[in-house]
Amino acid sequence: MNELQIGTHTFSSRLILGTGKFGNVQSMLDAIRAAGTELVTVALRRFNREQVEHDLFAALSTIEGLTLMPNTSGASNAQEAVRAAHISRELSGSPFIKVEIHPNPQHLMPDPIETYEASRILASEGFLVMPYIPADPVLAKRLEDAGCASVMPLGSAIGSGHGLATAEMIKLIIRESSIPVIVDAGLRSPSEACAAMEMGCEAVLVNSAIAAAENPAEMASAFNDAVKAGLKARDAGIMPKSGSAVATSPLTSFLGKTS
Amino acid sequence: MNGLPNWLTDEKGSADIAPLLAPDSPVSLESLAAEAKAITLRRFGRTMSLYAPLYLSNYCSSGCVYCGYASDRKTLRRRLDFQEVERELECMKTMGINDVLLLTGERTSDASFDYLRRCVDIAATLMPKISVEAFPMDINEYRALADSGCTGITIYQETYDPDQYNMLHRWGPKKNFLDRLETPERALQAGIKTVGVGALLGLYQPEKEALKLLRHVRHLCKTYWKAGLSVSFPRMRPQTGGYQPPFPVTDSFLARMIFAFRIGLPDVELALSTRESPRFRDGMAGLAITRMSIASRTTVGGYIEQNNDEKGQFEVHDDRNVEEFCFALQEKNIEPVFKNWEPVYNGPCSE
Repeated sequence: MNELQIGTHTFSSRLILGTGKFGNVQSMLDAIRAAGTELVTVALRRFNREQVEHDLFAALSTIEGLTLMPNTSGASNAQEAVRAAHISRELSGSPFIKVEIHPNPQHLMPDPIETYEASRILASEGFLVMPYIPADPVLAKRLEDAGCASVMPLGSAIGSGHGLATAEMIKLIIRESSIPVIVDAGLRSPSEACAAMEMGCEAVLVNSAIAAAENPAEMASAFNDAVKAGLKARDAGIMPKSGSAVATSPLTSFLGKTS
Repeated sequence: MNGLPNWLTDEKGSADIAPLLAPDSPVSLESLAAEAKAITLRRFGRTMSLYAPLYLSNYCSSGCVYCGYASDRKTLRRRLDFQEVERELECMKTMGINDVLLLTGERTSDASFDYLRRCVDIAATLMPKISVEAFPMDINEYRALADSGCTGITIYQETYDPDQYNMLHRWGPKKNFLDRLETPERALQAGIKTVGVGALLGLYQPEKEALKLLRHVRHLCKTYWKAGLSVSFPRMRPQTGGYQPPFPVTDSFLARMIFAFRIGLPDVELALSTRESPRFRDGMAGLAITRMSIASRTTVGGYIEQNNDEKGQFEVHDDRNVEEFCFALQEKNIEPVFKNWEPVYNGPCSE
């Protein structure tokens, strides 16, 4: 199946975009279109009801068929994130919420304890909760049990460009998970997005790598291709790794069927 | 001075950045700029957070040699009444400002804590984000400000050299070097979410000031892990009293210092005010600076109408209006961000 299923919603694109770091609104909109994305995240703190020209939500609302996933960036604990989610739903009408809680505003690492608590509350209230989390397989299962619609482990620190530094942990999360696993944060290049999809992720979320590119729309298009390629390769059956050489023509074929 | 904290005196805390600031540094300014730009782009993107100051009062009880608000200056003294505060903030809102820095001089009966807190209460009805740059307070006072909706305080050490500090601060409560040095920690202990620090560049040897400032920020980051830190780079500007800075800082050194701070503090907000020229500000935007003041007035009030008899705390160098400044940012493909906070996140930082 080539559609991404999150809760009751389906998306044909498996590339999710962040909207926070673009040089201007038009380049953000161009990148979203070039990415072919159908789901974007936008921070409640960038909602600006009083100045439409600076309101990311208003700009994003102009793209038909785009689903918005407000995020709670800026929240430092569960209580703030829950309040932010309620306001976000009221303003946007979206059932999605990306729970993003980073009490340390320097490195922006997600707080596992507060994230779990906020996600548990919001899932019980009917939100489609997509928490941004450390790449922790136990936390991921806890969040699944709490009713989250997906989990979004970080590949590496936000804006670091260190790619899939947490690959081994993400593989464990994928192996155990019954809900979509979406790599969020740290991806630098389309090849890393492709690798995440090959690995078994259901989608990737990218912001800095596209917004910081010289040509964001072109980079968004490249990520779009890469995500599709990764999924296609996975569906085609990626050759397993082997610790030793495996001859194309088996060396013992002359023995005929041996078992 | 005895009793200086280890983090301030231990040069190991800035050993990685010291070679970048040394007069004979082999690292070119251009290569520093390139590295700083790459870090800034990755971490902060192509955006610039904008804020504006509102001077509430120019009463002051201290005698800082270099300041236009010092209590022995013949400056016309006044403070905004609460209706004026509201009108000024409403005027700032019409300019698009959503992030305000409220300023006073040192504590006086005219500009007391109660007055300041009432001003924060008023601002909280209009502005998503409120910071305060005023006199040092105790923990209970900072907690009360946080309860009222203040999320940030700014407190410059002015100079990190205790002897120079003692000489420059002739009288008043500001004369206590260590008390001022400990002020950011009191604010953070009280739950204030963001602290802005800086040295007033020109008062002492800039290289030494830079390294101590860097150590101060790193100490705060390590000790208060939930703290949002921002660093400002105020350079002495002409002001009432005509004080001439003994250690003038060149554009070249200031740029080098800012680049070095971006490299040494890759996640920390770096701010540049309208003290600097349009040319310098435009040049630094996108390289390392992520926060700028805009269309500032340094007289008390001053957004609704300018009082020509009144002198500001310092002379603004970049006097472009909001549209002109935003146009310059947009020409560099940098998004001016007027709102980057939501009041739902207000209140003291949790334990």
